[in-house]
Amino acid sequence: MGDGNATTNNRSVSNSNNNEKPEWLQQYNLIGKIGEGTYGLVFLAKTKSPANRGKSIAIKKFKQSKDGDGVSPTAIREIMLLREISHENVVKLVNVHINHADMSLYLAFDYAEHDLYEIIRHHRDKGSHCINQYTVKSLLWQLLNGLNYLHSNWIIHRDLKPSNILVMGEGDEHGVVKIADFGLARIYQAPLKPLSDNGVVVTIWYRAPELLLGAKHYTSAVDMWAVGCIFAELLTLKPLFQGAEAKSTPNPFQLDQLDKIFKVLGHPTLEKWPTLANLPHWQSDLQHIQGHKYENTGLHNVVHLSPKSAPYDLLSKMLEYDPRKRITAAQALEHEYFRIEPLPGRNALVPSQPGEKVINYPTRPVDTNTDFEGTTSLQPPQPVSSGNAVSGGMPGGHGVANRSASRPMQIGMPRMQPQVMATYNMAQAGMGGAMNPAGIPMPRGVAAQPHQQQHLRRKDPPGMGSGYPPQQKSRRQ
Amino acid sequence: MADFQTSTHRAKWIFTPQQLVEKHKVTNQRAKQMLEKCGTTRIEVDVDGSLSYPETQANAADNADKHSRPKPLSVDEEQFMRVYYEYKLREVCSAFYFPHKIQATALIYFKRFYLQWSVMEHDPKHVMLTCIYAACKIEENHVSAEELGKGISQDHQMILNYEMIVLQSLEFDLIVYAPYRSVEGFINDMEEFCHATDDQIQMLKDMQATAITEVDKILFTDAPLLFPPGQLALAALRIANEMHQVLDFERYLRNILSRQNSVHTISNLTESLDAIDSWVKKYKFPTEKDMKHINRKLKSCWGHSSHDDKKREKKSKHKSHKSSNEMQNGPTLA
Repeated sequence: MGDGNATTNNRSVSNSNNNEKPEWLQQYNLIGKIGEGTYGLVFLAKTKSPANRGKSIAIKKFKQSKDGDGVSPTAIREIMLLREISHENVVKLVNVHINHADMSLYLAFDYAEHDLYEIIRHHRDKGSHCINQYTVKSLLWQLLNGLNYLHSNWIIHRDLKPSNILVMGEGDEHGVVKIADFGLARIYQAPLKPLSDNGVVVTIWYRAPELLLGAKHYTSAVDMWAVGCIFAELLTLKPLFQGAEAKSTPNPFQLDQLDKIFKVLGHPTLEKWPTLANLPHWQSDLQHIQGHKYENTGLHNVVHLSPKSAPYDLLSKMLEYDPRKRITAAQALEHEYFRIEPLPGRNALVPSQPGEKVINYPTRPVDTNTDFEGTTSLQPPQPVSSGNAVSGGMPGGHGVANRSASRPMQIGMPRMQPQVMATYNMAQAGMGGAMNPAGIPMPRGVAAQPHQQQHLRRKDPPGMGSGYPPQQKSRRQ
Repeated sequence: MADFQTSTHRAKWIFTPQQLVEKHKVTNQRAKQMLEKCGTTRIEVDVDGSLSYPETQANAADNADKHSRPKPLSVDEEQFMRVYYEYKLREVCSAFYFPHKIQATALIYFKRFYLQWSVMEHDPKHVMLTCIYAACKIEENHVSAEELGKGISQDHQMILNYEMIVLQSLEFDLIVYAPYRSVEGFINDMEEFCHATDDQIQMLKDMQATAITEVDKILFTDAPLLFPPGQLALAALRIANEMHQVLDFERYLRNILSRQNSVHTISNLTESLDAIDSWVKKYKFPTEKDMKHINRKLKSCWGHSSHDDKKREKKSKHKSHKSSNEMQNGPTLA
């Protein structure tokens, strides 16, 4: 169904001696690795099914949890949240695959060619032109729109940064922002443990002051602080508060980061932020953060905006010290900034006004010397194919922490022989593809995703999608 | 997530009673057929979480005389088996002092899992423990498989083996809405509704405690697969109110319906609450004798292919053979 290459070996669920490609992998042509982080790897692949031939998919591989304790909790949390949400400005999880060989999960997302990290870097490194106003405003509006949806569904992202804000490449959704990487996201009502408890290192540049000062409770305001930082970075092409991270202890006090913030925004005062007194690090004041080193706020100078301008007003409301006074995503969407010309648009990359220069952002570099396991193949590197060569560092697609040094990459190399993986898909509780070789994307059964529903029907063999395991009588080989 | 309306719980995991009956019939039927064709119903879960199905025995139906041939569980017997293990599930959760929410999530996972599978196919003991393990992960109350296994003297490897098949059978719909939170919400709302005095607030507190034990009962029935959590909570609160006599419950129901501009009429809602009550009244726990009988049958259904049975490789499947290992697989938990 939908996969012309499906073999007849439907029984092979997982067999390490089997060199045939696993069924779920047969749905894809692996292009290469596009990112790497503490949680695992991200690959670029294209679908082979006739209905969607050539559609790009980002496949995020989660490592098994370190302590030998089953499926990665980060993966599970990301899946469980993404299963419940659906919004134009949030990445779409299209499938979940299981690799039995190492009990890892592969999450398949609609692929986004760009992210804010790469867009900002492109402007900074090349040409040194600012990002045009329309693009900045549209990116920001869509980011807020997605965030407003998350917050109204009681989800805090907790790890917003430019590399987690994706932007779609050419196609139906060109220039549409997608918030990605929900590995650290939390539902408000769930107990919120400090980030350090997860053993995950996240960059501190976008961290809200209340967290830096030791607040135990997260609110949606932490995401708005990050949006403020990202907004400023879009304007200036430089991280707004680029503190040096202290790494001495598991959860050290980030003095330098706070210092960077105070330098630009001035010191917080109890008058403006009454609950400041309750924050552990402020209270203990071991590093004399209460001392008034900086008086004048220089934010407008840093971002080169007039203090009376609409964008400055919005930015300063996002960077409000008191989280309870900080502007919410819903309020921000209503801000005057979005009501004055140029108005934000759906395609953030292509200005609506004719005459505005359209920037051709480079495509994401792809490391083709890899298979789906992330193991580098033995095949020697091939020469850079003409025209397709992309120079640049490994991108941090989909929220990647590590960015390796720049090196040339190539696209279009033959696919590596992937290792054996089992095919599983969401709609089917059971086993291999006897009844459903194509792998049905998750049906949600709700009207909210009519698009996907239709798409499903096409791939859905009659009688399937019920979630019943098919009857299968043969023991695997 | 606060929004039950757009949840997978609402969209995919609330059924009609007929659908439920049908689902249990289908899995039962499938296991029966497997038993006829293969002489066993057990699907093995390997260390890598993958499944092995029993092989078809060409002459399975002929080569054994009628008396020694294993008999499948009936739909009702399967129900007893699930009821028994749901009770065990709560015992384990209590032993670990897990909060209500985890226990409720695990229970609902267990119920959902056995919509897809027969208890003849997957040992409910393993599934029960894996559901608890998964619920702990989801609710950020992480307990290692080893710790969980140790606490109840069970091999934790089997929990890890089952994790994938459980997650998959749940179709990765892992956010579950338990009625406990709704109870809390309604109690707060009732305080406002009655402009409660200090005395009344205390009465509402007592009523809440009673309602929570009522929810505990409801969660043992099929009602969580049939009704949204808000209705389960209201049914529990209605019973609690009968006991504590705090407010005019019907007036309160009318009040919430009018405030929510609900499409439901009061009679719709009362009907649902009555139905939930009747599920609780219908609830039947198997007797020791029932369980003995069912367990004996279940063991014979699993008789020929336990993973401990190394001989299966040689395909020497004698009908009368039962390994001693398999005999221990019953509803006995330390």
